[in-house]
Amino acid sequence: MGYSKKGFVISGIAILLLILFPLVAGTQHTLNLFIVLFITVILAQSWNILGGYAGQISLGNAAFFGAGALSFHFLAWRGGLPLYLALPAGGLTAVILASFIGIPALRLRGVYFAIGTLAFAEALRITVGNLFPLTVYIPTVHIVSYNLLSRYYLALMVAVIAQGVAYFTIKSKIGLAMMAIRDDDEAADTSGVHLFKYKFVALVFSSFFSGLAGGIFAYYQDSIVPAFLFTPQWTFEPLVAAAVGGSGTLLGPMIGSVFLIILTELFALTLGKAYLIIFGAIFIFVVLFFPGGLIEASERIRKSIFG
Amino acid sequence: MLEVEQIDVYRGDIQILWSVSLAAQDGKITALLGSNAAGKTTLLTTISGLIKPLRGRIRLNGHPIDKHPVHKIVELGVSMVPEGRRLFPEMSVFENLELGAFTRKARETKDQMIEEVFGIFPILKTRKVQAAGTLSGGEQQMVAIARALMSQPKLLLIDELSLGLAPLIMQQISETIKQINLTRGLTIFIVEQNVFMTLEMADYGYILENGRIVGEGEAKKLLQSEEVKNAYLGIEEV
Amino acid sequence: MAQIIVYGVITGAFYGLAAVGLSLVFGVMRHMNIAHGSFLMIGGFAAYWLFHLLKLDPFVSIPLVMAILFAIGAALYKGLFSHLDKLPEGLKINNSMLVGFGLTWVIDNLAIMFWTSDVRAVTPSYTGKVWHVLPGLRLPVVGLVIIGIASLVIFSLYLILTRTYFGKSVRATAQDRDAGNLMGINVERTYLIFFALSAALAGVAGVVAAVNYSVYPTVGFEWLLKAIIILVLAGFGKIGKVFAAGVLLGIIEGVSVYFVGATYREVVGLVIFILVLLRRST
Repeated sequence: MGYSKKGFVISGIAILLLILFPLVAGTQHTLNLFIVLFITVILAQSWNILGGYAGQISLGNAAFFGAGALSFHFLAWRGGLPLYLALPAGGLTAVILASFIGIPALRLRGVYFAIGTLAFAEALRITVGNLFPLTVYIPTVHIVSYNLLSRYYLALMVAVIAQGVAYFTIKSKIGLAMMAIRDDDEAADTSGVHLFKYKFVALVFSSFFSGLAGGIFAYYQDSIVPAFLFTPQWTFEPLVAAAVGGSGTLLGPMIGSVFLIILTELFALTLGKAYLIIFGAIFIFVVLFFPGGLIEASERIRKSIFG
Repeated sequence: MLEVEQIDVYRGDIQILWSVSLAAQDGKITALLGSNAAGKTTLLTTISGLIKPLRGRIRLNGHPIDKHPVHKIVELGVSMVPEGRRLFPEMSVFENLELGAFTRKARETKDQMIEEVFGIFPILKTRKVQAAGTLSGGEQQMVAIARALMSQPKLLLIDELSLGLAPLIMQQISETIKQINLTRGLTIFIVEQNVFMTLEMADYGYILENGRIVGEGEAKKLLQSEEVKNAYLGIEEV
Repeated sequence: MAQIIVYGVITGAFYGLAAVGLSLVFGVMRHMNIAHGSFLMIGGFAAYWLFHLLKLDPFVSIPLVMAILFAIGAALYKGLFSHLDKLPEGLKINNSMLVGFGLTWVIDNLAIMFWTSDVRAVTPSYTGKVWHVLPGLRLPVVGLVIIGIASLVIFSLYLILTRTYFGKSVRATAQDRDAGNLMGINVERTYLIFFALSAALAGVAGVVAAVNYSVYPTVGFEWLLKAIIILVLAGFGKIGKVFAAGVLLGIIEGVSVYFVGATYREVVGLVIFILVLLRRST
């Protein structure tokens, strides 16, 4: 699988635009929107690597997000660790957590892995809610120096890194092994692909970046209820975004996340929750008829027009 | 009774049957012979309705049935003994037979038919409550045939009777089938690898090779024909 | 302690009732219907509205609720899940899980839109009534009714599955779908009816939930987790085992509250679930 020059150029331009955007048209509202978008993209891609590429559908990513967020909060805001240490530490915490549950869980097949991870995330949520029932805040000294713009660039940078790492992983032998496992794990096994190793790599990627996303959120959001960090929405909205955009593709999670955020904005003032209904319906439609998501749909349209 | 007209059948993208035509006469036993991957099971599965032909027609007493759903074809009087028996393994012999009489019409005569099939295969009566999956190969084959008879079909399709059966059992069963045909006038269409035994039992035969019909004729004549002898019987004469 | 066990049995009977529909559909059709919890929620709300608008006693309204859910289940199966039937097993399970979960979003949020997120409960006049059987042993009347209903439902299901032609055809097609077709069984229609039946069962559980606990639009998810836990504990298909697993879970939860406190009650079930899952995989 080769690297496409055109792709690099387009990505470069897109990144440049995103860097310049706030200086030109950045309002507080749009910056907030983009930060949420970047977090969603990171989470969606994290799910996608494990679920869309390696074929292990996880329903418990909220656990990694929450772990990253919570550990960031304690390390950075309570422990005084500087940002560039606390954030990766958050990601690392998530990875440790993932190893703890992942090593036994990855032996489970398909639907059992899914509900196992779901149960794990829920158990964690309740436990955290019991241990840390009170809302936590960013300390005042940091509130004073709060800079939305720097958070925008941080989120953007991590999103780009996540996308980049995903890209190079998928294009490498590791990605090939993952996809082999996804398509037919018995065949992959007998061909000598070390199932556990590659599933674990996917899990590490997924949990690390979910943890980073959590850290960014803890950096960004001024007040948090700890248990809220572990609620299923942090698993499911990125999952649906990735699936609708096109699971198993590199651009799918991004496109799906953009789509989701746009829908959210459209309905924010009117029917609030309506965006979930529409998105849910699209998701069902995609699963039944367009497994490749919007990317597959656009491919088909392109083919039918241009032949 | 049964007419197959020039059907093309695909499995996925691969064509298995090419322009196949044949007919099964009322009250006769018609055999379809051919070596292993010739497409015999595909043909029978198509007649039963589990697969649909891409081109061509299948008629039952003049009625086209190639587009019907399977259960409709069964209701019209076609019953199949599938390859590998396909019993319901965790259900008892008795329940398997009951399910053979699932169609509304068949349910009315269910009890009577159960007695009849126990008459034909007495050993099944002793195994009535046993789980079908625990029976021996020969006994399972008997259940499969008995089950297919429960709906009092007009046409009985049999796929690969001899698979996995000891020759003695095979002999017994094929004699029983001949009996059923004679006493009830039941039209039988049987697909088989075991050429010798089948041609002994049948009235008419077709030969399928690589998805095409390459020969047909009365069973006795086929038994004596040179090609059949060389191609198939050489292997079997021990 | 005996009191705790009594409450555990009552809760467990409810759990078994909630889980049986999910277990049957998964065992027979290999669909993991995550939206089962939402069906439960709809049942609960139906009972609520029937009680408040028509003054219908919730337990009397059960047949009506079952009919409503049957219709909804049939429509959803025909429109959505039936498309998954042709898929190979692994894909079928995964995709039905995803479809079910998308449905949860749609149904739950529609409920929020129409009915608001407020918590509702149905409290007929006999709600607080209790039988004092022995000193220290109280049997809530509602609880007894629940156990009665759950037992009745499970028993009826058992009879249907073993004594009727429909039930046998369901069991048969679960073991060999093609052979089922060859018997003249209209497998698609059988699956449709069976799925709708499981939705109706969820509806019954929903009525019970509305009376004994409470309902709100997102409650389905929690009950679903319980149902999944029981599914894994019991294996699927044998409804007797599902019921027993439900009761067992109810008792274990009740007893453990005694030791770890009410806030960790849910965690106990989830942890047991994970442990059982892991043991099963080795």
